[in-house]
Amino acid sequence: MTAGAVIMFYPFWFMIDASFKSTAQFRGAEGHSLESWAKLFDILPVGQQLLNSTIVCVFALAIIVAVSTSAGFAFAKLRYRAATLVFLLIISAMLIPMQSIIIPAYVNLAQLNLLASYTGAILIYAALGTPFATFLMTAFYRGIPDELIEAAVIDGLGYWRVFLRVALPLSVPAIGTVVVLQFIQIWGDLLIGLLFLQNTDLRTITVGLGVLATGRLTDIPVLMAGSLLSAIPAIIVYLVFQRQLISGLTAGMGK
Amino acid sequence: MGILLSLPAFVLVVALLGIPILQAVYYSMTNWDGLTTVWVGPETYVNLFLNPTFWRVLLNNGLLLLSVPFAIVIPLGIAAVLHEHVLGWRIFRVIYFLPTAISWVVIGMVSARFFAQEGLLNAILANVGLGAIQTDFLAHENTALFAVAVTFVWSMVGTNTIIFLTGMATLDPSLHEAARMDGAGPLRVFLSITTPQLKPFIQFAFIMSMITAFTALFSLIFVMTGGGPGYGTTTLEFFVYQTAFSRGAFGTGALLGVVLFVIMGIVGLLQLKLLRSRE
Repeated sequence: MTAGAVIMFYPFWFMIDASFKSTAQFRGAEGHSLESWAKLFDILPVGQQLLNSTIVCVFALAIIVAVSTSAGFAFAKLRYRAATLVFLLIISAMLIPMQSIIIPAYVNLAQLNLLASYTGAILIYAALGTPFATFLMTAFYRGIPDELIEAAVIDGLGYWRVFLRVALPLSVPAIGTVVVLQFIQIWGDLLIGLLFLQNTDLRTITVGLGVLATGRLTDIPVLMAGSLLSAIPAIIVYLVFQRQLISGLTAGMGK
Repeated sequence: MGILLSLPAFVLVVALLGIPILQAVYYSMTNWDGLTTVWVGPETYVNLFLNPTFWRVLLNNGLLLLSVPFAIVIPLGIAAVLHEHVLGWRIFRVIYFLPTAISWVVIGMVSARFFAQEGLLNAILANVGLGAIQTDFLAHENTALFAVAVTFVWSMVGTNTIIFLTGMATLDPSLHEAARMDGAGPLRVFLSITTPQLKPFIQFAFIMSMITAFTALFSLIFVMTGGGPGYGTTTLEFFVYQTAFSRGAFGTGALLGVVLFVIMGIVGLLQLKLLRSRE
């Protein structure tokens, strides 16, 4: 078990250790320094890229939560005609790999002039996250007793208010699962960011790092400092919301 | 009201996933550079299937699939031990699960150093007297794919361990006790009692790992090897990107995307069938 834990933890240790060494120290000289961290902040607009990652994540997550909770509520509790069909259409989009749609989506959004802003990337992330989120939210709302909803309706609340005041507050744990799972996905994504955030100023930290790694820079400690920095927000989210993440990973089992 | 509430999700999915996938099917039968389109017809598929590079790439996907059993068996063992609540199991769980939160870019970055000429793996090999097989793992076709596969398995360990731990928590402990009373050792109990009961969880982990191997390794390959050397680590998903955005062959890229979609569709049907058979 301990040997396994060492193997699992070694990359993190390597990142931390290497990032606090200068290039010479990494090559064998003694001691640690902040030289590589200083260099990282020189060559990468770290603050801007962290901000870009945050903006993209927040807006994409807001869209995913808004559309998946309302749709989930409609599918589970309002059961209009054709609801099953619409539900199945949305859910089946889970099967579409992002690589299969990325070329037409890229050309479509380029024609709409959305590649020079955050908008294109945000929309694509939102669309890719929505099917699974809707699946999860629908399953969650199906678990809420119908009587609860009906009682609120009899009390004179319209469906819209029932959704906002009764269903939505009840579904905070499920929303948590959706948010944590999608945050980790979007924060760590490279492909969409690479293509849909064409402007260098708009790049997320993961894209900035990915581009750096394939470029001429071979300064390992600097790359490790960047890796660590980009990983920290996701690690914090993971440590705080472990339970939500776990329930999200097994939610696809369909119980 | 119901229609209104589900409309935003529907529009988003149709506009950004549904229509593009139909467009991809259309463009897959054309010569397309992103601006001008020349209709070719279904023979683009025939041409693709006659192209040896396509099969070379698909072979990489196939070889990568061979690593999936390792991504199942290792976590199964770990989960079995953690489930017994060995000393420090909570800390172990946090550490084993950590890679799940980390982007493939970061994982690839560290992994590339590990497999490099002056990396840790070669240092270990030299220390245990296997200096003869020291090499720059990412510089040769076969070893580079091996390095990608090992990294893939490493990062799946956490996710699959969690799936199995969740599964083990649902099992009925009385069966285990009965088996132990009958004199079965821990290994015997694990193989004959635990594993069969975990079947749905194992199937689920297997399919999720397969989907990951086929559709989620773009960033890892981009950072670790760039698909090379040669086509050594180019998988189908990476080939889509390369064909469209490095070579400008958008039509062929769309075609490869459709092939990937069909393969994933088959995997999805398999999953659906497994779910049904359980109910």
